[in-house]
This record gives sequence, C-alpha cells and structure tokens, in this order.
Amino acid sequence: MRFGGVASGVGGSAPTMDARIVWTCMLVALAGVACTHVAPYERGKLAHPMMTADDLAGPAAAHVLAVHEGATGGGSLSESGCGCN
Amino acid sequence: MQLTASARRPSRPCLPSLVAVAALLVATAEVQPARGSDSSDTDQTSTAREEGSANRKKAEDKSPLEDTATKHASMELAGYSDSDHVTVVTPSIAAGIDNVSGGSLNASYLVDIVSAASADIVSTASRRWEEVRQAGSLSGQYKPHDFGVGVGSSVSREPDYLSYGVYATMVKDFDEKNWTLNFGYGFSHDTAGRCGGEGGPGPSCTPFSVFSRDLQRGSFNAGISWVVDRASLASVSSDLVIENGDQSKVYRYIPMFSPSVAAGIPNGASIDYVNSVRLPERPLEQLPLERHRFALTGRYAHRYDGSTLRLEERFYDDDWGLVASTTDARWIFDLGKRFAFWPHARLHVQGGASFWEKAYVSNNPNGDANTWDLPLYRTGDRELGPLWTTEGGMGLKWYLGKEAEPRSWQLGFSGDAMYTAYLDDLYVSSRTAFLGALTLEAEW
Repeated sequence: MRFGGVASGVGGSAPTMDARIVWTCMLVALAGVACTHVAPYERGKLAHPMMTADDLAGPAAAHVLAVHEGATGGGSLSESGCGCN
Repeated sequence: MQLTASARRPSRPCLPSLVAVAALLVATAEVQPARGSDSSDTDQTSTAREEGSANRKKAEDKSPLEDTATKHASMELAGYSDSDHVTVVTPSIAAGIDNVSGGSLNASYLVDIVSAASADIVSTASRRWEEVRQAGSLSGQYKPHDFGVGVGSSVSREPDYLSYGVYATMVKDFDEKNWTLNFGYGFSHDTAGRCGGEGGPGPSCTPFSVFSRDLQRGSFNAGISWVVDRASLASVSSDLVIENGDQSKVYRYIPMFSPSVAAGIPNGASIDYVNSVRLPERPLEQLPLERHRFALTGRYAHRYDGSTLRLEERFYDDDWGLVASTTDARWIFDLGKRFAFWPHARLHVQGGASFWEKAYVSNNPNGDANTWDLPLYRTGDRELGPLWTTEGGMGLKWYLGKEAEPRSWQLGFSGDAMYTAYLDDLYVSSRTAFLGALTLEAEW
C-alpha cells in the first residue's frame, strides 16, 4: 500500500505504508513482552513528578523545535499552525 | 496514563466515599433543624429560636465544604537568537484546574515577538522586519475512572497568518492502569495572506478577502503506554497528518540557474555569488498541494534512586520523500529536596524532500526568453532539505514551596544551544542558535 501522493509524481521515492506497519507491529510486540503487572501500591517510583508523560520542554522550546525540524509528530494535537519558517 | 496525577494525591477519596460523605452531610443538615423544632415546643422564645438559628448558620458558614480542586498556573519568558540574525522573545502564561472528580480545564496564551534579517530576507533586498504572533489554547478533560474524554481548541494569529483548530481525545486504562490506550483527532484551518510589497513582509497587509491561501490539516493520533516495571514507563504513539492546501510562502523567491551553472554551485553560496550567476527570472516558491505525514514516537522513562532518565525516539516520513529521525535524552538529578538539575541532548537527522534542489534548473529549449521551463515544484525552505541538528543544554529547578510541599512553587531555568548543518543549501551552510527560558510555576 502506498500513499497516493506527489512524490512519485516528482521522481522521488515515496515511503511505503509497509515499513510503517512493520515498525508499529515490532514496537507493539516489544511492548507485549516487556511489561509485567505492577500493583498500585508498588508504584512509588512511578509517581515521582519527573515520571510524568508530559513534555518537560516549555511552549517556546516546543515551538522552536517544530519550526527547526522538518518532521512533526509526537507532540500535542493542540498545536496550531503558523507561517513561521 | 496519568499515573503521576493519581499517585501525587494518593489520599484523595474515591467517588463512592464522596457520595457517602455528601449523604451524611445532607442527613445531618436535615436533622439539625428538626431538633430546633422540637426545642421550640418547650421553653424557647421566638427570639431565642432566631438566635439559635443564626448561631447555627454562623457555625455552618465557618466550616464550608473543603475545596478539593487542584489549581496550577505558570508563566515563562523565553528568548531565542541564532546566527542567521533571527531573534524571538516569547512570554507565555498558562493556568489550569483539576477537579477531584476527574475533570480538568486548562488554558494558555503566548506571544512571539520576532525580529529577523535572515539570509533569505536579505537575498530579496528586504529590510529587517518584526512581527508579533499571538497564540492561545483552551482544553478540558473528564476522566472520572478508567475512561476519559477531552476536547480542546487553539488559535494562532500573525498579521499575515491565521490558524485555528479543534481536537478531541479519548483515553482508556486497562489492568489497574498497567496499560493505557489513547486516541485523538484534530482539525485545523490555516489562512495565509500577504503583508508588504514584493520585497517581503511589511506593515501594510492585503486583506484575506483579497488574497489568501487556505490550508486544512487533519491529525490522527493513536498510542499505547504501559508500566514496564516498578520503576519504568514506556509509550509508543503514531501520528498521521493529512494536509491539503497551498503551503508555499508568498515571500520566498527561488533563484534559477542554467544547467551548466547549477552543477557547480557550492554549498552555502553567498548572496552576491548567487545573484551574479543566476538567471533573470526568480519565480515564487511552489510546493505540492497535498501532504501526508507519518510519525512513530517511542518514549521511555526510568526512575533511579535520586534521578530520572527520559528517552525519546521519533521516526518520521512523508509522501514528499522526507525521512527523519529525532533522538532526545534528558537525565534529571535530584539535588536534595529543593533542587533538580538535568543535562539535555537531542539529535535530529533528515533527508531532503524528493523535489529539493540546492540550485533549481530552468531550461529554455526554444531560445525564447518568454518560455522558461520552470520545475513544477521548487522551494527554498531549508527545513525541507537535508540537514542534521544537534542540541545540548541543561535545566535547573528550584522548589520554593513550604517544607511540606516544596514543589508547590517552582522556579526553573533552561538553556540549550543548537547547531544545524545544512548539507545542500544556498546562502547558509550552518546555523548556531541559543534558546533560554525562565519559568515560574505554582500549584495549590
């Protein structure tokens, strides 16, 4: 399965969905074998504030990275677009 | 997964307990007037009854229901400067409230004050320009037990650009929160206009009703996070972003070269050199009108005795042919109860878009000056070209709260230096940048 995008139309090598599916499956499989059941009373270390799932970078740092890097993803859906670069 | 939230407030009563307490209060409130009624049948006068009632009311007023909500607020002042003569100052504020029943409401607002005289601007004979961007967001989430939903909206405004978006999220915990699934969808609509003349951005703007370009963006997100062991958390999330519209910048003119000259243009060729060898025509940038972007991000966090290690890896590719890898590491060390310090490192490597060229070729097969054969897609956006960026820095937090809750007030500082190598570009072959931020956070 291939994205029906512009890359093929401009002579480039378009990424395939196959690779993405493989990545996803590998990581999910890893997840399945890597975890053990941890009871709530055993989560003292996991409760440390620095173990939060939130990004530690502030809004300015996140925005600079979004503008500097040609990639996106891994962040919040709340980021709005800008004509920054 | 919100393990942190639940663990940081372990003494919070659960909903059934709250219901029981509330029922008891209601029952007590009903009984007390009844007692007063009974006593009125004995020797109490009407005035005494009124005084007794007033005293009871005062006593009730002195013991109101406890406010169990957690409020938090933060402000940040950040500054960015780079070797391409771009400076940005960003003050921002954020505030939120988390209710004990699982509801939360958050809002944020920031201002970007940009001053730029980059090589791209100078190459178009433009002056340094300044611009202000304002952005705000509002979001809410309700997660009473192991299932939660959230909604949010955001808006960003520049003189020549307007973006607004909405999103919705869904999260579900399984196996006593040992693993969690989350899904989300966001939609945003961007409108790009134009300010200033042909030389670049300026103070006078053309109304959107006269000239504008629209960009619509749909973002799908799905992820799983899980408890690896008693000291480790991990997560994997995927993002699919579908963009429709013309993202080409209306200020970006692309120099064109004859085939024989294009082959010999060096990386980072100066503005004067480019102007001396380029062809007369200099068309505007033109990007494809559709883009599908995909990212897979893995995160891992491990709590040691006295420190926390956080790792992140993101793979990215899109149908413009751009493939990238981003690695981020942060190791936070506790320095007693009052301080935390961390080194931070980041490496981003990407290839160029399939239509990226350092020097675009314009053929003139018929020898007619009016029939230039321009490439269909052409860009000068360096973030679409091959590059790598390495970033290193540090952060420090000072917990200023009372002895019992030192983290209720936090003062933070972070500073990062970035070096970017542009591997196949005009004007600029590298960029050095510095980003610093000062933050103040409070929770009560």
